[in-house]
Amino acid sequence: MSKFKKVKKYKSDEKVTIKTFLKPTIYLLPFMLGIFVFTVYPFFNAVAISFKEDYKVISDTFSGWGLGNYQKVFSDPTFIKAIINTTQYVLVVVSISLVISILIAVMLNSVEKLQWLFQTAYFMPMVTSSAAIGLVWRWLFNYDYGILNYLLSLFNVDAINFLNNPQYSMISLCIYGVWSMLPFTIILLLAGLQNIDPQYYTAAKVDGAKTVDIFFNITVPLLAPTIGLVAIVNIISSFKVFDALYMLFGGKPGPAYNLYTVIFYLYEQFYTKLKLGYAAASAIVLFVIILLFTMVQNRIQKKYDYY
Amino acid sequence: MRVKVQNLTKRFGEVTAVDNLTAEFESGKLIALLGPSGCGKTTMLNMLSGILPVTEGQIFFDDKDVTDLTPDKREVGLVFQNYALYPHMTVLENICFPLKIKKVPKAERIEKAKEFAKMVHIEEYLTRKPKELSGGQQQRVAIARALVKNPKLLLLDEPLSNLDAKLRVEMREEIRRIQRESGVTTFFVTHDQEEASAISDYIMLMKLGEMQQFDKTRNLYNQPANLFVADFIGSPTINQLHGIYTQPANLFVADFIGSPTINQLHGIYTEGGIKVDGDNQIIKTNHKWQVEEGSRVVLASRAEAITFNDKDDIKTKVVEYYLSGKDTLVNLKIGSYNLRGYIDATKAIKIGDNLNIGFKKEGVFLFDELTGERYYE
Repeated sequence: MSKFKKVKKYKSDEKVTIKTFLKPTIYLLPFMLGIFVFTVYPFFNAVAISFKEDYKVISDTFSGWGLGNYQKVFSDPTFIKAIINTTQYVLVVVSISLVISILIAVMLNSVEKLQWLFQTAYFMPMVTSSAAIGLVWRWLFNYDYGILNYLLSLFNVDAINFLNNPQYSMISLCIYGVWSMLPFTIILLLAGLQNIDPQYYTAAKVDGAKTVDIFFNITVPLLAPTIGLVAIVNIISSFKVFDALYMLFGGKPGPAYNLYTVIFYLYEQFYTKLKLGYAAASAIVLFVIILLFTMVQNRIQKKYDYY
Repeated sequence: MRVKVQNLTKRFGEVTAVDNLTAEFESGKLIALLGPSGCGKTTMLNMLSGILPVTEGQIFFDDKDVTDLTPDKREVGLVFQNYALYPHMTVLENICFPLKIKKVPKAERIEKAKEFAKMVHIEEYLTRKPKELSGGQQQRVAIARALVKNPKLLLLDEPLSNLDAKLRVEMREEIRRIQRESGVTTFFVTHDQEEASAISDYIMLMKLGEMQQFDKTRNLYNQPANLFVADFIGSPTINQLHGIYTQPANLFVADFIGSPTINQLHGIYTEGGIKVDGDNQIIKTNHKWQVEEGSRVVLASRAEAITFNDKDDIKTKVVEYYLSGKDTLVNLKIGSYNLRGYIDATKAIKIGDNLNIGFKKEGVFLFDELTGERYYE
């Protein structure tokens, strides 16, 4: 926020009475109710459960308050591995997908004809069912018949067992992750690009800048606020990676149970082992991690407020 | 650098923005491209800069044909209407940018940028971002950025239109000073005739893509080529009396006897006068215009070309007057038209007075009503 900008708080001339308070409240109620039931209450309940020792979901009983759940998950090597896996996944997928998306968005933005067609095409994966997509990717990755291995064979690279070899499973997951992240990222970046006044490009051209100069000196810096926003949204969503994993490896966390992510760990504790306390504790840990990232990102974002 | 355009034409689909324009511009001068909006002045500027490709015709810088060169190869500096300063760069980085692109060593480009920052009086703000500057300061930065690469041609697109009235006057003098100091041939686009008249050496006045007059600034005021030019240049706007050019004797007789006008031979008369619509007198001036009898004409006169001497005999009525210092701007009526003149403030007048006026030789022109073409003596 610029120090030259004064933000005025909106103040209604209308006097607040019970009546003026009630009317908007009634309008807001259905929405608020949904938020409360599905977001606010579960959040606080999860925090509470994470501190309950020996919590039994069936009887809703526990032996007392404490940090037992946290001690348990942090001493569980699977959970530690899950955090490492997830962080790796986030760093790789978010950075690679951002770079690819920026390039594609800039290219799309410079297309004059049929832009709507390309935009729709790139947006398609967003609106396609993830179960269907998972199936398609299982075929693409297939050892014997997959098109990826066919393409590799054209370059005389031996077929890779993307899905069943633990060595490559992380790579497969990341490829899928990058791909699935592109549409949303590209759309947001396109919106950001369209907000850049084309006059800056003209000015730079008159100054003798070539396409590459313009890209690095004008486009990327002016797009930085959008890039920052997209990065944080993508970081948050990749930390929650689960369905990709579930879909690609047939409900297992990797071919050799080697690809636990935090959410998969949570899912397993909760759904198959009925350890609600552990699940809640791991959820809170993930929440704190994401919160930290968001705070850091917010700090950086403020540096890029040009206008 | 001398600039020449030959049969320059720009069409956007059906619309012709600049129509077959040929002109030569002297080196080191400040040239205003003037005209109402939509007249093609910005299109003209953009073609000079190379941003817009030309449809037909050629552009020469000195004797070099630059028609097909890209902007960076033409060595022009361009200042945009809203300055287009890069918002993510500081003032210094903005001014340095053209040099950075040219791969000038860092120390050298900073030194050079500072030199130009000093020239436009912006050296205290080098570390600021554009949003932290006022409009006038932003414009100075934009000019410095345009000048830092030593352009052969400086192009300013409506540089003053985003500034408030006071700053506008200040900045136009600054532009004049900077142009003199740098000696670079400068084009500047404006729709404000006062602005153009105040600082430019030459004015090219355009209307609907066509050049109306290109001349020394003073000449557009003193010797307008047509009615449009006469009307566009000058404040207050030139007085216009529409009427019929007629030989005085005939009308005099006709008037005197009180019968319908007698038949007359039509021909070119230089001794005639103008019968203004809605009025019976025949206005005679000291000019010997060559006009065919019976033509519809416009007698245009500058406010300062109207005299109020004792021997003046053109009858008018005072409609309104405005005191302004030593002169009074008086609004007069002849027939269906109004006329403004400056009268000595010591002369007592009131609304409804009859006032006799005359016309000086200078500042009075006669135009064809239909074509707007000027009659010469």
